[in-house]
Amino acid sequence: MSKVVGIDLGTTNSLVAYVKDGKPIVIRDSTGDALVPSIVSAAEDGTIYVGREAQRRLLTDAQRTVYSVKRFMGKSVDDVKEDARLLPFRLSSGSVGSEAKAESGAIVKIGLGEREFTPPEISAFILRELKRRAEDHFAAAGDIDPEVDRAVITVPAYFNDAQRTATRDAGRIAGLDVLRIINEPTAASLAYGLDKRHTGIIAVYDFGGGTFDISILRVEDGVFQVLSTNGDTHLGGDDIDSLLMRKVLVAPPENGSDERRTSEDVQRIRQAVIRAKLELSERDETDLLGTSITRGDFDALIRPIVDRTLEPCRQALRDAELEPGDIDEVVLVGGSTRIPLVRRLVAELFGKTPHSELNPDEVVAVGAAVQADILVTGNREMLLLDVTPLSLGIETMGGVTSKIILRNSTIPATGSEMFTTAVDNQTAVDVHVLQGERELVADNRSLARFKLRGIPPMPAGMPRVQVQFQIDANGILSVTARELRTEIEQTIEVKPSYGLTDDEVERMLLDSFEHAEADFAARMLIDARNEAESVIMATEKSLRAPEYPAVAVELKPGERARIDRALADLKGVMNGEDRDAILQKTHALNDATTHLAELMMNRSLQSALGGKNVNQM
Amino acid sequence: MITARPKDYFSFLGLPRKLNIDMADLEKRFRALSRQFHPDYFVNAPAAERRQSLEQSSYLNDAYRTLKNPSARLEYLLGLEGLALKGAQEASKAVPPALLEEVFALNEELDEVRELRAAGAAAEEWKPRLERARAPIDAKREEHEAQLRILSDRWDALVDGGRENAEGQETLRALRERMLERSYINNLLAGIERELAT
Repeated sequence: MSKVVGIDLGTTNSLVAYVKDGKPIVIRDSTGDALVPSIVSAAEDGTIYVGREAQRRLLTDAQRTVYSVKRFMGKSVDDVKEDARLLPFRLSSGSVGSEAKAESGAIVKIGLGEREFTPPEISAFILRELKRRAEDHFAAAGDIDPEVDRAVITVPAYFNDAQRTATRDAGRIAGLDVLRIINEPTAASLAYGLDKRHTGIIAVYDFGGGTFDISILRVEDGVFQVLSTNGDTHLGGDDIDSLLMRKVLVAPPENGSDERRTSEDVQRIRQAVIRAKLELSERDETDLLGTSITRGDFDALIRPIVDRTLEPCRQALRDAELEPGDIDEVVLVGGSTRIPLVRRLVAELFGKTPHSELNPDEVVAVGAAVQADILVTGNREMLLLDVTPLSLGIETMGGVTSKIILRNSTIPATGSEMFTTAVDNQTAVDVHVLQGERELVADNRSLARFKLRGIPPMPAGMPRVQVQFQIDANGILSVTARELRTEIEQTIEVKPSYGLTDDEVERMLLDSFEHAEADFAARMLIDARNEAESVIMATEKSLRAPEYPAVAVELKPGERARIDRALADLKGVMNGEDRDAILQKTHALNDATTHLAELMMNRSLQSALGGKNVNQM
Repeated sequence: MITARPKDYFSFLGLPRKLNIDMADLEKRFRALSRQFHPDYFVNAPAAERRQSLEQSSYLNDAYRTLKNPSARLEYLLGLEGLALKGAQEASKAVPPALLEEVFALNEELDEVRELRAAGAAAEEWKPRLERARAPIDAKREEHEAQLRILSDRWDALVDGGRENAEGQETLRALRERMLERSYINNLLAGIERELAT
């Protein structure tokens, strides 16, 4: 039987998990790494690279590499003007869009090598990589049918209809039957709910690479009921990186801008910034491109960003009609929750220490896998009841939004509105569907415009056209209309203003088969590079660790020099094409650092055990 | 799970048409029915069943949301009993007779405050006047809440005694009157809030 998986399609990293015999399993590569960087790169020969290899290519072929594509999902060119200035991508408006869409802005297309792709297509490259990973995993386990053809994919709770639809389209382009789109914080709560049969009110604070969500749930009798959700689809670790980048990139005005820097230089700085950020979660001071930066500096710099997460939390509490003291447990999700300042402010807001027992990078994929398992097995032990994050409305007289389904309504949900005509014998009525909380149409998100046609000619005001809005369990909208006097029914295809039609998705799926991915040899080379990189990273981490100086005195004469040489050797061959050389040098570095690793391990055990030597135990 | 389309929210949740609802009981019924109808459990079912699950589940969620909120519950009951508020509410731009005195006094005060503000008066000069002006309106609202509670209890007792048809209409009409007045009062209070906020 073919397989079903849960996928966390993140701004920075993506990963895949599944459930076997009731237990969730995260799929990892040979080096134990579950995270696939959400980065896609195109080689000159048209080969598409995804993940670690694409991340490496940011340093050599930045112009042919795209990251953080999630920020562009379901957006028009107008929507992304801000981002376009910060991200080094070639953006254009889509020729995919048919004429009907031109009026409301066209879908974004992103240049990748010589070609241009819509955000769902680029996301589909990432999804195909995850699908392939999972299939390799099942095949290696000796499964007779390792094919992965169905998936649950997660999205930020605060994603609107267009963004959800774009995500579902990405899954279809990748050849997956998307069983359900579920919200990331809700997925995380499922993962946490697995081992503890608890009851109570949970707040899930999900601060990822590009998005922030807060969801408040009541868990009872195995039902995970979302009471309210709020967030910011444009707030995450990326913003912290940009802030640090700006600090580093500031050059004296007389030198002009950073035009002298190549894209590769900028990416190198970006990676140094990210490394410094990660290190400051573990210690009080680190080095950023030759300058010392303390956690205090860092906290002061990012405080405004972290503060922006707090108001959505308060709003979610108000919407759930709860006080901070009513929350029984707070769960942290997303890589940015590793930052000590984030943990401290969340603890202060809710007045309790948040949970972080489960890996905040993996917990969403685990929850998606659990949901996928529920969907295919029909197991009724657990049930997720989610809400729609934004109110749905239509445009009425004077450019005002009239709400039809309020935010935080449990989904699936319906709403209806009666329309009539303004002049005699009018046979069509325009309907403009919006999402958002604001009063004025211009301040809300335009989801779709459509014309109700075929209204029988009657005096003005006589026809009674009932338009029914249905938000399904994915949080995705569909619309039907019926003229009540004549019982003429019509279903309207509501495609987001900047979405893809079914035909376009179908064509992209076929396209993807023609442009096949890298061949087997290339794949093997990438695996070797990945392993080399993880050994290099582990070594460098040890050499920079605060306890290193204490350990260094126990190293044999010349041992450090041997490590440095092996490190340099491996770095020298790592980006080459010679797989055997990479494997050999990786092996050599492993050998050279065995003793160091032992000493470090011994050291950390000692401090954990209160000063005893392991041999004395 | 073939179930006929339910008549109304109350019967769908297995509840009598009463205005006082035990919330814990409502939540329990909601969870149980969600387990029965939710689309998650019909992913592999034939299309017709999937559609029905979506319909039932949507109806359940709409019912739960309406009955959970006391005002929405009362408004829904009035609609079921042929005394729908909508439309009527929009038509009642006229001041309810029971509120004439208070509304008159409030409007006078509001006019004076606006004049003061136009002349550049400081906030400490007009704010207390507004606060004072809203006190009688607040009192009226309290009174209305109390009346709504009494009338709701009376309706529930009639339902329990199986006499809602005989004496119910009168109670419902009174409830409807109070609801209309209350929404008028709420509008007045919102107006004062706006004035205070700007």
